[in-house]
Amino acid sequence: MPIKCNLCEAGAILKRPKTGDALCKNCFYFAFEEEVHKTITDANLFVRGETVAIGASGGKDSTVLAYVLKALNQRYDYGVNLVLLSVDEGITGYRDDSLETVKRNQQQYDLPLKIVSYEELYGWTMDAIVKQIGLKNNCTFCGVFRRQALDRGAILMKVDRIVTGHNADDIAETVIMNVLRGDIGRLQRCTAITTGTEGALPRSKPFKYTYEKEIVMYAYFKKLDYFSTECIYSPNAYRGFARAYIKDLEKIRPSAIIDIIHSGESLSVKKAVKLPTQGTCERCGYISSNPLCKACILLEGLNRGLPRLGIGKSHKERRKLNEMLAQKEEAGNEKTTPDNSRETTENASSEKSASGSSKQKCENCSCGQKCLAEKVEDLQLDRRKIDPALIDF
Amino acid sequence: MCSVQEGEDVSPARKEKIVEERTCMKCEKKAVLVTRVNDAFCKECFMVYVTHKFRAAIGKSKLIRDGESVLVGVSGGQASSCLLHLIQEGLSGRAHKKLRFKPGLVFIDEGATIGMSAEERLANCTQVLEIMEKTGFPCYLKALEQAMELEKEAFTNTADQTDTASVTSVENLTKLHRYDKAEEELLALMDSLKSVSAKEDLIKSLRQKILIDLALKKGYSKVMLGDCSTRLAVQLLTDIAQGRGAHVAMDTAFADNRCNDITIVRPIRDFSSKEVAMFNILNNVPSVFIPRITTKAADSVSIEHLTERFVTGLQAEYPSTTSNIMRTGEKLHTEKKSSSENQCAICQAPLDTDVPPSSALSAVRFSETVSRCSSVTLSIFSTDTACCGGGTCQSEGQKESECCGQGDGSCQSKESKLTRDEVESALCYACRLLIKDLGDVSKLPKHILDDISQRQRRTKMKSEIEDFLLDPSNTPD
Ligand SMILES: [Zn+2]
Ligand SMILES: [Zn+2]
Ligand SMILES: [Zn+2]
Ligand SMILES: [Zn+2]
Ligand SMILES: [Zn+2]
Repeated sequence: MPIKCNLCEAGAILKRPKTGDALCKNCFYFAFEEEVHKTITDANLFVRGETVAIGASGGKDSTVLAYVLKALNQRYDYGVNLVLLSVDEGITGYRDDSLETVKRNQQQYDLPLKIVSYEELYGWTMDAIVKQIGLKNNCTFCGVFRRQALDRGAILMKVDRIVTGHNADDIAETVIMNVLRGDIGRLQRCTAITTGTEGALPRSKPFKYTYEKEIVMYAYFKKLDYFSTECIYSPNAYRGFARAYIKDLEKIRPSAIIDIIHSGESLSVKKAVKLPTQGTCERCGYISSNPLCKACILLEGLNRGLPRLGIGKSHKERRKLNEMLAQKEEAGNEKTTPDNSRETTENASSEKSASGSSKQKCENCSCGQKCLAEKVEDLQLDRRKIDPALIDF
Repeated sequence: MCSVQEGEDVSPARKEKIVEERTCMKCEKKAVLVTRVNDAFCKECFMVYVTHKFRAAIGKSKLIRDGESVLVGVSGGQASSCLLHLIQEGLSGRAHKKLRFKPGLVFIDEGATIGMSAEERLANCTQVLEIMEKTGFPCYLKALEQAMELEKEAFTNTADQTDTASVTSVENLTKLHRYDKAEEELLALMDSLKSVSAKEDLIKSLRQKILIDLALKKGYSKVMLGDCSTRLAVQLLTDIAQGRGAHVAMDTAFADNRCNDITIVRPIRDFSSKEVAMFNILNNVPSVFIPRITTKAADSVSIEHLTERFVTGLQAEYPSTTSNIMRTGEKLHTEKKSSSENQCAICQAPLDTDVPPSSALSAVRFSETVSRCSSVTLSIFSTDTACCGGGTCQSEGQKESECCGQGDGSCQSKESKLTRDEVESALCYACRLLIKDLGDVSKLPKHILDDISQRQRRTKMKSEIEDFLLDPSNTPD
């Protein structure tokens, strides 16, 4: 017996992954669009008269986002000018194909399109970067460069705001990643619907509460044209674990994705915990919590033949770079070897803990000296600090 | 789009290859164990390290006073057995600085939740009780179904009532198992919960209620639990996955002060399960294996079970997993609300449901309304999304039932059933998920329903006198 739509007399054609309700095609479109509209209005994402750039990759999320925003802008008269903004990473067989999709979208949706390329912005295509650094950390480069590329493209197009197609699944995954990595700063920021309000262009996620599966359903039934191949330089395995975990959770309890976002939104960080303050990059003026932004460091590394520079959290590398920049010498042949980098870091930290607290007496037991347990804790703490720096060695 | 964002792709260090023969990092003897990251210990140094870690955790917190009565939860499992052994050692004259609190032990039998026979339950209780009695501390035995019969609040001055099965000898064990009616109620409640995740979550809250209740009745001011870091890391991630982000800090901290009179403490929260297991082997600490609701089940049976497999799997590859997760927890805190009306009626944690319009909770509510209530469909251009109250709308048939007629708010009428909405209003986000799985809310334990009814009456009273209150936010305690 055919199931009837929960909302009207028509026959249902799908069960909403988000709520489990059976709906017909039109009622699903309605619910999907209304939810995005509510997300936009509740968070005051749009201001009449502003120009809003949609970060368009040709993939399903940004394709559906462009379609829905155009429809909602007409239906609810937001009064914003929508434009498409694409980044050409320079990945043969992946990006050139997906950019074709974006160009078709531009015609279908009748929206202006701007494409900025890594090559014109940085002088490097991803293909060239991979050729130099291999497949291990390419996603670091891509992530950092894309973020800036979107901003720079947006400034060229004189837009007021960027919206991206990040969906609820992406955000839940990022929450889990940041918990697993103990990164409290990012954990706190990653559920914000809009980021970068100080100085940088505001960047928002209208699909924050939209399930990936429903985006696919929407595109499928609307027959939207999108490009669905994974990046050929696929992301690292660790993120894959978090992704698989979330997919498994969703099977047990479909609301898990939203539940994780609720968790992220209601986390409260101790006041004593210091979060990095944001400044601007000395070289390019981009927002950065260090004197040089990540993109400039990565670029410097590439150009000087030290591609590991800036990957991980090695402060030693950063110091080295600063020295290098100060001396303004050619350092093309200078190389760090894994062994001595590790040694120096460990020596430095053990010296610090030894000189810092060796005279203190143990307060918790009667051992009367700097006690073993604390020493071990210190050591482990130091190890934890250096761990990320050692990843790539 | 590739969802990798700046700086988010750095993954923790993978496991290093462990060298066959290791020597102790403290002395030069042969190592027996490599702890969390890569520190090897010989037996003697390991014992010193573990004992010291335990004492330091208690000492540092400055929470447990000399002579204070502390109720220790014993599950029979590895971690709580390890805790029990450490307490015994610490209190003995041998210790160079004695611990000075007065422990009492309690075991809660949860056999009813997995359909164990009375004989099996008795056998388990006997085994655990044997271990507990050897310590010479006061011992209590409780069954989870007793949570169905608890009062909303325990009064310290109601001395040993008949319904507190304080059993101190094996002969009296049978006394425990006369809670037939309570057992039936618990089973009915468990049956009407569709998912194992919800069952596990509720069992946890009921267990906590029994511990707190017993502590209050018997004059204990702290409850001590043997949660190790591996366990708490799983708890933390499970919390995140179940929408308990706001409660992460309480659920995993050294001290959990969600209940006003009793603080829950976790003195071995820095111990890994590996350290616990090694400690128990080296000291011949006995433990009892008691199956739980997810024992031998598939990974996907519940959120907690899945998370446990996920964390232990990751830990094997990336040894810093547990400590990274715990590090996240260290930096978080749970804001405690002053009034008990702001506590969840089930888990007692502060309510996290007072959220702005742009939030996951209001997005969920909207999704449900927009795909269930046809009147919203008609009012497409209206921002008003109030529900129609008919058709396929979910709130159908949940009309408030009539009170017994005593308008003074003291109505105790059994007929005045709480509606689902009323129950939900007194619950936190995660416990609302639990209730969604529950067919009939009136199957909840009496103390929870009583608590919610009382809140309802008070809310009603307050709305009646609201106009005459000078400061409406001023609530009496
Ligand atoms: Zn319909
Ligand atoms: Zn820069
Ligand atoms: Zn000491
Ligand atoms: Zn040793
Ligand atoms: Zn709760």
